[in-house]
Amino acid sequence: MDVEITGIKKAYAGKKVLTDISFSLEAGSCAAILGSNGSGKSTLLSILAGVRRADGGSFFYRGADLLRHPGQIPNVLGYVPQGDPLMEELNAWDNLRLWYDRETLRRELSEGALGMLGIDSFLKTPVRRMSGGMKKRLSIGCAVVSHPGILALDEPSAALDPVCKEDIRSYLEAYRRAGGIVLMATHDAQDLELCDVCYILRDGVLHSWQYDGDFHKLAEALG
Amino acid sequence: MRQTAAYFLAQLKRAARLLPGQILVDLAVCVCAGALAWLLIAQGAGAAAGTRYRIGMVGDLSASYLGFGIAALQEMDDSRFMVELVPMSEQEAEEAFQRGELYAVMRVPEGLMESIVYGENDRLITYTAAQGQQGLGTMVMGEITDIASTLVTCSQSAIYGMQRILADQGRGEEIGWETDKLNLALIQMALSRSGFGEVEILGYGDGLSLELYYFCGGILLFLLLSGLLNSAFFVQDNRAFSCFVKARGVSAPWQILGEYLAYLLLVLGGLFSLCLPLMFALEKAVLAVPEWEGMGAAPFVAFLPVLLPAAALFAAMQLFFFEATEGVVNGILVQLICGIGMGYLSGYFYPSAFFPEKMRVLGEALPSGAAARFAQAGVMGKIPGAVWAAVLGWLAVFLGLTMLVRWSRTR
Repeated sequence: MDVEITGIKKAYAGKKVLTDISFSLEAGSCAAILGSNGSGKSTLLSILAGVRRADGGSFFYRGADLLRHPGQIPNVLGYVPQGDPLMEELNAWDNLRLWYDRETLRRELSEGALGMLGIDSFLKTPVRRMSGGMKKRLSIGCAVVSHPGILALDEPSAALDPVCKEDIRSYLEAYRRAGGIVLMATHDAQDLELCDVCYILRDGVLHSWQYDGDFHKLAEALG
Repeated sequence: MRQTAAYFLAQLKRAARLLPGQILVDLAVCVCAGALAWLLIAQGAGAAAGTRYRIGMVGDLSASYLGFGIAALQEMDDSRFMVELVPMSEQEAEEAFQRGELYAVMRVPEGLMESIVYGENDRLITYTAAQGQQGLGTMVMGEITDIASTLVTCSQSAIYGMQRILADQGRGEEIGWETDKLNLALIQMALSRSGFGEVEILGYGDGLSLELYYFCGGILLFLLLSGLLNSAFFVQDNRAFSCFVKARGVSAPWQILGEYLAYLLLVLGGLFSLCLPLMFALEKAVLAVPEWEGMGAAPFVAFLPVLLPAAALFAAMQLFFFEATEGVVNGILVQLICGIGMGYLSGYFYPSAFFPEKMRVLGEALPSGAAARFAQAGVMGKIPGAVWAAVLGWLAVFLGLTMLVRWSRTR
């Protein structure tokens, strides 16, 4: 397995949010983490992204424990938080320049991930004038700067119209085909169709769950 | 390190995008506030210049000495610029008083001068003021009446004594002449009373004139409240961005430092917007500061670097307020309440020298007080080490606290 996560724990002010998170993923797979609001999905993703520190556990990627070497995480994992991590006053180019050097950015726009995301069509648009879909594509573009092996997305389809969802889904499928691992926290049934495996996060523990397209079953499982 | 440098650059770029609009807003606010202040001051000065207390004198004014005294006060004494004594009848006084044309009525009882000459002191002058409140005017007038009574009583006792001595010596024919001489000598002494002592005005806050004190206070108040004008910098909810940036390897202290430098740029832009009209006003002598009289805007330009540490301190404080509160509206409210409160305590609205001791000490200890002491010491040309330490200390505290809040939010 390329990703091995075992025994991740996290508590806020004595309240346990994650008690024992363990799962594994292989290259080219897509996993969804489901759960009710406040169940700890965002916390888990932010721990894996190196934003928050776990109280215990390990996160192995191709043999290296990234929780012990958090400095390596930005090279391995691209993280897209729920809100768009963009500077509203700047345009798409300036936001990307924060993470890409000029040459790489030009190359990625013409023949890389940024081109696939269609960002070159709104490079000069200020973020505050962008649609939700443009912002989400730009956020993903910023997150994949280091060609990470894992892409962790927190609610990637929230408040997006079907066309935008489809654009992002197309990109994620291509990313998987290229051997990338997609890990997403979601509530959206449409996102689940992309995933090979689903987990429900309840009481701080992940439970494996098979999604068969029945939304009512999903609602019951989350309830 | 490359990411951190890129982050700093992006923040500066962000501030630079906001800066032109921000300068225009600041400039508009400064010009409007300046015009309003100038109008109020001009109106106040005009009203103050035109204020001359008109006091009606009624009753027995027939005594020649009393008439002479009133004439001397109205023609020779400095008080003639502030007080006008108008002899009139009771009827005229009552009507003028009701019309609000008189500040007060002074009633001289029948036979006052005779009673003084004969050493009696039971016929009191009554003074009726229009203002019911015990204000400064009525207080001063009470004091003047008291002093006048004492002077009259003492001087007339002297005259009475002299007349007795002359009578005892059989020089009755000289009494009239000598009484006039002594009265003139006493009046001369009373009129030249301003030569008895020298009045030295120390000024406010390390010896500044009132004008310069408020000049510094006004600029500092603008800087203190500039967070309200610059709130556009904080409109974006940066929680997701902070997390993302942290995930990309830029830790909370570096994030705050980058944001601080960018925000400082905006604050300095605001300061620049304020200084432009001030420089113009000083150059054209629309604004008069006694210490800089006749020197145009040059002393102010030399004074500007002194404001930079204060701007840096207030920028750090505003960044902390916005970081520690949820949402921009809360941030603006906190800025407003804290800014007004701190500005008042530190004497930006009213010289703190008039405050009770504990309040004054508190005002000086606050960040706004540290900045005020820094500016006041700077304008006098020498900034003590303790004042430097206070400003830099507060700056470090606010930056540290902001980093702590950011760190706790993204941990």
